[in-house]
Amino acid sequence: MLWFAIHLPLLPLEAFCATLPPEQAARPVALLKDHVVAQVNAAAAERGLRPGIQRATALALAADLLLADSHASREAAALQGVVHAALAFTPGVTVHDAHTVLLEVQSSLRLFGGADALHRKLCAALQPLGHRASMAAAPTARGAALLAQWRPPRTDLLNGPHTTQLPALQALLWQAPVWLVGPGREHWDALQGMGLHTLADLHALPRSGLARRFGEGLLEELDQALGLQADPRRWVQLPQHFDARLELFARVDRTELILHGAQVLLARLVAWAQARQARVAAFTLRMLHERARDVPEPFTDLHVELAEPSLDPAHLQMLLRERLGRLALLAPTMDLLLRCRHVVAAPAPNGELFPTRASEAQGLARLLERLRARLGEDQVQRVVAVADHRPECASRSLPVDAPVPEGVCDAPVLPSTLQPDLPLLRPTWLLAEPLPLAAREWQPLMHGRPLDLLSGPERIETGWWDGNPVARDYYIAQDGSGALVWIYRHRLPVGTDQPVWFLQGLFA
Amino acid sequence: MYSIWVNLPPEKPVASATLRRAVPGLSALSVPLPRPAGGVRPAPEDLHPALWRAWQMGRAAGAGAGVGQGAVPSGYADLDLQLPGGGWPARTLTELLLPQAGVGEMRLLAPALAALQGQGRGLMWFDPPAEPCAWALGELGVSVKQLVLVRSRQVLKTQAKTPARQRVGAVAPAADVLWALEHALKSGHLGAALAWLPARLPADALRRLQLAAQAHDGPVFLFRGEAERARPSPAPLRLLLNSAGPDALQVRLLKRRGPPPQQPLWLELPPVLSPAAFGRAMQLQADSASSASSAASSVAA
Repeated sequence: MLWFAIHLPLLPLEAFCATLPPEQAARPVALLKDHVVAQVNAAAAERGLRPGIQRATALALAADLLLADSHASREAAALQGVVHAALAFTPGVTVHDAHTVLLEVQSSLRLFGGADALHRKLCAALQPLGHRASMAAAPTARGAALLAQWRPPRTDLLNGPHTTQLPALQALLWQAPVWLVGPGREHWDALQGMGLHTLADLHALPRSGLARRFGEGLLEELDQALGLQADPRRWVQLPQHFDARLELFARVDRTELILHGAQVLLARLVAWAQARQARVAAFTLRMLHERARDVPEPFTDLHVELAEPSLDPAHLQMLLRERLGRLALLAPTMDLLLRCRHVVAAPAPNGELFPTRASEAQGLARLLERLRARLGEDQVQRVVAVADHRPECASRSLPVDAPVPEGVCDAPVLPSTLQPDLPLLRPTWLLAEPLPLAAREWQPLMHGRPLDLLSGPERIETGWWDGNPVARDYYIAQDGSGALVWIYRHRLPVGTDQPVWFLQGLFA
Repeated sequence: MYSIWVNLPPEKPVASATLRRAVPGLSALSVPLPRPAGGVRPAPEDLHPALWRAWQMGRAAGAGAGVGQGAVPSGYADLDLQLPGGGWPARTLTELLLPQAGVGEMRLLAPALAALQGQGRGLMWFDPPAEPCAWALGELGVSVKQLVLVRSRQVLKTQAKTPARQRVGAVAPAADVLWALEHALKSGHLGAALAWLPARLPADALRRLQLAAQAHDGPVFLFRGEAERARPSPAPLRLLLNSAGPDALQVRLLKRRGPPPQQPLWLELPPVLSPAAFGRAMQLQADSASSASSAASSVAA
């Protein structure tokens, strides 16, 4: 067995910084645990802050310090992302402690081309999540975890002899400091005060005495790390659906700040989808609002559907950005919820070096998706021909993804297509609403000038079955400049003050 | 793509050093410039496709790049003779100025659009002035299956109705269509793009579009009002279209890569009128020319 351990020493700080708006990220930040500074970021370290100092001391050193408490659920959510990223490489992933994830990779080595290549790919998969990680490999699970937490200097933790041979691992672990074993356990302070330095010192002590003072657990851990005792683990099961929540540091009322927070969630979504070996087809971003009297809805949902399922974080982010740009927030939000219920389990299409017909069609689909995201779903349209004599029904513009309505002709072929000498029957441009024309002594006027009727009438009298009956006489007319227009006259009796002539289309 | 008019009389030789300085791409050519040897001096137009003399017709921009065919034949032989490259140029903007929609502009473009669709390439129309009729397009040979309409004005209309859902930042009215057109051109997946642009555009909008069009291997047609004629434009080809009687179109080339044409072109469009109706129209024209008598009397026939 070969185990990889991913230890995230700065996870609480990184999980907190992900909730900050971008302009605050450069401020000094310190995380408190029991009123003592536990972790500081680089800006705070420059000002002289160190873990372990008191809260008041920290504020005296940096007046603009951003103090926050570490938050277990926030860190667990961040660790979840790392677990999902790891699940893309092996089904054997387990959470060791709050900051460490273990992977059993022996059976994945051949697929990914060896431990080195696997490590590189793992780093690339972790990179978008934005955590600093230290990794170690060892034949035992606990041994790998100890090495990743310890990070011994001048040792190649991923390729040394200790990764395959148990004696080498034991020799390395004998030198490990004793604080590694069981931090957080009851008698840890007493263990520190016993004057022991390394695990070798600990191992030299009588086992029965150790067990009596510190419990059986300590000896068990030590034996498991050294490979003397079995270390059964329970694998993490990948959830069927993706749900992630991010509580923002401050109330946000601008959509670009929401996008900043959503990026973190999108990176986790991509990690999850990669582990499922599927591509995202649709996802929903829910923005929870604070309870207030003037807020009608407790949340705003933004549903993004992809025309072409994708796993490209940049593409997902771009779609979300365009959709967010059109959104008007009803109220400030503090909580973001990203959920994904719809994935497509299929291999991604091959990338191509030179453009082909398939890649062009895919590129066009992406372009349409982008336009729809920015302009609106209904603003990108296609035109369909319907077998109907009424001009307003014969040709319709529908949203690109709308279902095909009944009666659509697949390929309109008219006699004049076959015989090019025949005149055109219909104008290229149809007005959405027929424009009423003034008339003078039965002659229609357009822009105050009379229209000359050249051809007609073509009678269209139909539609009595669906409630929109028309009875019209169509003429082709010429306006003063010589352009041809399509006008009609109502045949049904109308009032004397109502217009009789209408402009229907332009022969462009 | 740079283009330079070498404005010299045809018999005067051009020093290659001058050319090298004038055209930066020339020095990067793998073939060394031919030296004038003996009495034979190379003509500048033979050196590089982007070079021509002012009295010559320019060549298609794409031909030099070696990508695509450079120009799409318009389907009108008279017009092709007047267009640099022998057709609608690819990778650059083409401006069509119209007094109003419906003078015959779609019948003018239909042969080229149908030819592009025949190669399996798609069309995208931005903000068409009215609903396109699928049957009429089918008659003109343009398939609606490879046609996408992009509308941006309705967004603003609906937003104006509901002030509560107004956008946060103030957006210029043309911003959406310009953004969409620019991205469509940059993607390079279209056969041709047709855009009906609003009257008032930001000064840099057309220049941005011209840059974006270089990635687009096909013609780009911008329809604008006749009033834009007096304003400068970065589009290398500008045409003014006017109706010239029934089923006829007058095309005036305002700007092209070549010598300015003297006469406006008169093109016969695919007919709308039957021969009888066409005769009636001619009769009407003759009547109105002779006397301003009533045109309505002929309607009864």
